[in-house]
Amino acid sequence: MSPPAAPAAAARQALEPPPLLPAGITDRQINDSLLDHVWNPKRGWLTLFAIALGGTGLLVMGLGVTLARGIGMWGNNVPVGWAYDIINFVWWIGIGHAGTLISAILLLFQQKWRTSINRFAEAMTIFAVIQAALFPLFHTGRPWFAVYWLFPYPSNLGIWPNFTSPLIWDVFAVSTYFTVSLLFWYLGLIPDLAALRDASTSRVQRIAYGIFALGWRGSARHWHHYRIGYLLLAGLSTPLVLSVHSIVSFDFAVSQLPGWHTTIFPPYFVAGAVFSGFAMVMTLMVPARKYLGFEHVVTERHLETMNKVMLVTGMMVSYGYLMEHFIAWYSGNPYEKFVILNRATGPYRWVYYAMIFCNVLVPQTFWWKRARTSIPWMFAAALLVNVGMWTERFIIIVTSLHRDFLPSSWGMYFPTWVDWSIFLGTLSFFSLLFLLFLRFVPAVAVTEVKELRHELAHEAHAGGGHR
Amino acid sequence: MKTLPIYGQPPRAAGERPLWTSLDDLEAAARGPGGEFRHGAAEAPVALGRRSFMKLVGASAALAGLQACHPPREKIHPYVKHPPEGLPGQASHYATALSIDGYATGLVLTAVDGRPVKVEGNPAHPSSLGGVGVFEQAALLDLYDPGRAEGFRRRGGGLAFRTLLQEIAALSAAHAQDGGAALAFLLAPDASPLLADLRRRLQGRFPRARFRVWSPIAEDQAWEGARIAFGRALDATARLDRADVILALDADFLYGAGDALRLAREFARRREPGEAMNRLYVAEPALTVTGALADHRFRMRGSEVAGFARQVAGALGAVPAEAAMPPGREARAVAADLQRRRGRSLVLCGPRQPAAVHALCHAMNAALGNAGETLRYTAPVLGDARPDPRALADLAREIDAGSVRTLVVTAWNPVHAAPAGLDLGARLAKVENAIYLTLREDETSRRASWVLAASHPFESWGDGRARDGSVTLQQPLIAPLKESTTAVDLLAAFLGEGEKGAHEHLRALWKSRSGPDFELALARWLEQGLVPGSAEPAVSAPVKTEAVVAAARALPAAGPGMEIAFAPDYSVLDGRFAENAWLQELPDPVTKITWDNAASISPATARRLGLRNGQRVALSLPGRSLEAPVWIQPGHADEAVTLTLGYGRTAGGPVGKGVGVDAYRLRAADAPWFERGLSLAAAKGEHRFAVPQGSFSMEGRPIALDFTQEAWKRESHELDELRGAQPSLLQAVDYSKQENAWGMAIDLSKCVGCNACMVACQEENNVPVVGKVQVQKGRIMHWIRVDRYFQGPPEDPTVISQPLACVHCEVAPCEYVCPVNATVHSDEGLNEMVYNRCVGTRYCSNNCPYKVRRFNFLAWRGEVAPTEKMLVNPDVTVRARGVMEKCTYCVQRIERARIDARARGAKMGPVQTACQQACPAEAIVFGNLNDPRSRVSQAHRDPRRYDLLHTLGTRPRTAYLVRIRNPNPELG
Repeated sequence: MSPPAAPAAAARQALEPPPLLPAGITDRQINDSLLDHVWNPKRGWLTLFAIALGGTGLLVMGLGVTLARGIGMWGNNVPVGWAYDIINFVWWIGIGHAGTLISAILLLFQQKWRTSINRFAEAMTIFAVIQAALFPLFHTGRPWFAVYWLFPYPSNLGIWPNFTSPLIWDVFAVSTYFTVSLLFWYLGLIPDLAALRDASTSRVQRIAYGIFALGWRGSARHWHHYRIGYLLLAGLSTPLVLSVHSIVSFDFAVSQLPGWHTTIFPPYFVAGAVFSGFAMVMTLMVPARKYLGFEHVVTERHLETMNKVMLVTGMMVSYGYLMEHFIAWYSGNPYEKFVILNRATGPYRWVYYAMIFCNVLVPQTFWWKRARTSIPWMFAAALLVNVGMWTERFIIIVTSLHRDFLPSSWGMYFPTWVDWSIFLGTLSFFSLLFLLFLRFVPAVAVTEVKELRHELAHEAHAGGGHR
Repeated sequence: MKTLPIYGQPPRAAGERPLWTSLDDLEAAARGPGGEFRHGAAEAPVALGRRSFMKLVGASAALAGLQACHPPREKIHPYVKHPPEGLPGQASHYATALSIDGYATGLVLTAVDGRPVKVEGNPAHPSSLGGVGVFEQAALLDLYDPGRAEGFRRRGGGLAFRTLLQEIAALSAAHAQDGGAALAFLLAPDASPLLADLRRRLQGRFPRARFRVWSPIAEDQAWEGARIAFGRALDATARLDRADVILALDADFLYGAGDALRLAREFARRREPGEAMNRLYVAEPALTVTGALADHRFRMRGSEVAGFARQVAGALGAVPAEAAMPPGREARAVAADLQRRRGRSLVLCGPRQPAAVHALCHAMNAALGNAGETLRYTAPVLGDARPDPRALADLAREIDAGSVRTLVVTAWNPVHAAPAGLDLGARLAKVENAIYLTLREDETSRRASWVLAASHPFESWGDGRARDGSVTLQQPLIAPLKESTTAVDLLAAFLGEGEKGAHEHLRALWKSRSGPDFELALARWLEQGLVPGSAEPAVSAPVKTEAVVAAARALPAAGPGMEIAFAPDYSVLDGRFAENAWLQELPDPVTKITWDNAASISPATARRLGLRNGQRVALSLPGRSLEAPVWIQPGHADEAVTLTLGYGRTAGGPVGKGVGVDAYRLRAADAPWFERGLSLAAAKGEHRFAVPQGSFSMEGRPIALDFTQEAWKRESHELDELRGAQPSLLQAVDYSKQENAWGMAIDLSKCVGCNACMVACQEENNVPVVGKVQVQKGRIMHWIRVDRYFQGPPEDPTVISQPLACVHCEVAPCEYVCPVNATVHSDEGLNEMVYNRCVGTRYCSNNCPYKVRRFNFLAWRGEVAPTEKMLVNPDVTVRARGVMEKCTYCVQRIERARIDARARGAKMGPVQTACQQACPAEAIVFGNLNDPRSRVSQAHRDPRRYDLLHTLGTRPRTAYLVRIRNPNPELG
């Protein structure tokens, strides 16, 4: 840059976002730094893994007790037929939204900053959906039948599932989402698996990574097909981001229960899902980038952008709350009105205020750049949003059910130790899968980062700066 | 072989022509059974293989061994050839009776394959009229209770039945020498002519023996009141069908044993709006079932009821001024209303009130010309077996004096239910031969030296009399499940006739009292469940005004201070049903508390003392105290505590032991019902009640609707928006072409809230009991519940109860959300539950606006005792864990009727659901909506009809009829 332009450049510099990659980084450096955690496991991995394994034991125990004794081991009752089971289901499914959104939608919108976090987010999605998928099965009274009766198969009794039930839609939506997410993630992994295979020093590793690399050689033909496949899957995933949580919201919106029977639910649930998904990515990414030494690829710029997404989706969610309250008043429906009043003044009001604090107030801090770029605050905020989104599902499910039309049937829900075990167990199981991911698979899409480096270098060369 | 007459199949007289199908048949019948075996008995069944043969031999040997378990009495023989009424799986019905505290209610029991599975009321019986109460129904669970007492023991050593009879005969011979001077009997009240005859004969053999009759909830004050008013004890039987205006003074006449079923029916029939509608005034301390139905309820402490009675009596001029009290506004209005309906009004007095109040009532009824019109006086049906409140104190004195060597106790659990301070247990232990006949091991059986297991009434022969005196013979439905005996056998054993057996005694007695053709008469009595013409004749007696005046003036004036009132419990009565899990889990009709009793207080008293619901308090009376949890009951009298009897058992089985608090420990002998001078102090701790009803307020929603008679004329159109078609995008299914479109109507005006429907449903549909903890968690399983709502000020609310089961929505929210098609609609409009298909997502329950679906959260049945398995209705599936269930409109009864109709080649007749059949008030009507003449169709067209949560467009098949109240305009 020429000296006369220096003040202008400085002014522009202030407006420009910080760079996506540090200047002057080489492919070799990228390769080494991003694959390092696979070859040289970080200190403490085994400890974390042991803790997660122990926590997963809680899940096994909770589900075992439930299978052996029945749903009565939980706090569910009549009127509160669903509680932690479906809260956890919706919460995990919601978390699972960030991955696909980042991978697919941002890919289609050519958001370059996605490359550093997409692998991470996709893995999180898959593991979250695995947690979520446990619940529709295990929350039933007779899972040994539910496991196949919910699928349409040509039974010799001539009985089909009831296609008017949103639970059947859930089965299709979740299984489709899981399948596509898994394929998308795996397809993206193939070049990196090949790189691992090629860099393997032991025979076992070479064979293992070789099998999963599916014979990838990096030929132009491979890249050609890979690109097309990846784009197609991205296109396929995009509507799924919107459809899955819309359909999950139908579980509630299609019923006639006050507090559930709401047309705003589909978009409101999708926004909430993205919100919670981003919060979970942040929750995991902030410590992981430090732990794995990824500060150079997951830069402040990435974190700040994600915080902006949280601000936006948080406000969408807040708008959803606002509309729920407004419609309850505007519709003149006394039952709807009561539900809202009961949320704010009933026995679960503290959960309601926790939700408002976490989901409405906390993201507002991201209007300030200081908050957006403060690592401790963004971590705390992400945790709070995770909690807030969980309480939101509690509010929707439990407070709507516990006091509905006839006051005679009102009741209260209190979780039992089994409810807590299963919830904490899924958190542990999720962590367990995530730790395995961090141990054996590159946590950042190495090839994509390298590609990005080339693109940025190209742009800098051509345009005299980066976008 | 005896064949018991089946209900509804009149027996044939000896000379009647036999039925025959062919000439061969007729000839064979005339020849009589030929050969050693009857036809078919000697040939092996075609399919009898080696394995089956071995099984049969093994079973025969095992069953033959069982013979030794039962006393050798009447034998029950297997059929060699099945009579047509005895087809396996085919239900047969037998008329019998159950006596509670001496008064029999006629019942029709359904038996399948020799096991009674359902209790219904006997429509021909004057105390039932077809309805049946909770106690009679729940007695069936007692029958199969695996924890029932079994066998006979003396000082810990077991006795065989024959040995027992010999021992008693020896004992009796020893006592006969001094005329029974050391022999005493403590008997349960019983109107049985057979027992009366045995007592008479015992008195002859032991002239010096003492017979005492005792019950903790005796109505002795009523007889004493009649003795004051008429000079002799008389029973007063109300005729509510004739009464236009009723004043109930602490009289909870619509609930309980005795005559409540008939009274509920007569009362309910007069609750339809119009000129014929009756009006009920109730003056009482705690809110009762009857008080909840009152058009005007005057809340006052139990001791103040006497003052109110004197006010009304004064305003009526029934007694001279010195016995009366200056009437207040309310008493004047009540008196004027009674006066306007002379001869068609009625003043009722509850058994808890002192004799003088009863006497005043008799005087008032006489002054109103009601005697003989709305009130029928008869000689006491209990005869000399009327309970005596002094029985226990006298007995204790005799035991202390050492003049009782043998004491025979058939009264229920006197050690537990004795007044506080009377240590009957220690005294009983001092009696050399304390012979206690009991259905269950309890506090008394621990202290008695002889414990004899009693047979259940459904297992034994006997007789009983209804409140009006009508005799019903009690016939057994099943051989005793446990080795046991009966009061008849026990008393007969003292006459040396224990071997004869109750059946022979019964036959002998009634043979002597019947006309020439005894066998036919007996068969008819058994078939109908009634001895015709056996009711007590009415007597007329003039009121002795001076005696009434003297008694009324002697009544203590109500004073200040807290007062405790005791009451029989709606679920366990005086405690004798404490081991009955159905009743324990039955929500109290007023408080809705299950598995507990509580110290009920008014909201104002709670405020004054700063008490919260469930807080434990120490209730202290001079020399006695008890800790109990508080229940704040709207409508309760201020400065008073009501505690129900029968809880806090320290002995017995797992169901009743340790549940609630023992009110008997606070109850004095001389103040069995009300006592002043109570002090109430907050104690440590909080008690968690198990209350299945979430809220008692309707929150301003149109749920259980009521109107006053006046308002109804003007505002009946308000119901138009709660019925009829709702606009919908969906095309409604057309059910009009079906033969049947099942529907129900529940008349809130008639419902007395007595819970009979709940027990009926539980019995019919194999509904499990879940226990207190699970009730607290919100997992009670009742398919039909009775919701109770309060309106108005909490001090003096109006109360309405609303039975609610699945309403079988035509547009059912549960159906479209079930992912596996486990809940579907039948073409006759039933919302059906396919248990086999259900995977238990509970979505249907979430989406049910009425929340009538019940989920098997755990394996509620668990390990079931063999006898309890016999209780199960074979027509209804027992639901597994993880499955949703709910009211089916008794689909098994519908299908049974359909099958019967098809077999006969006829159109389907009317079907009754279990709840409808039990309902003493006829508040529940079920039937075919496609038949315009059916009662249910008429009810659906009634101007009082509305649909619950109509705005949701669910098109429920169960309609409600609004409750109409009939307040006195003078009282505003």
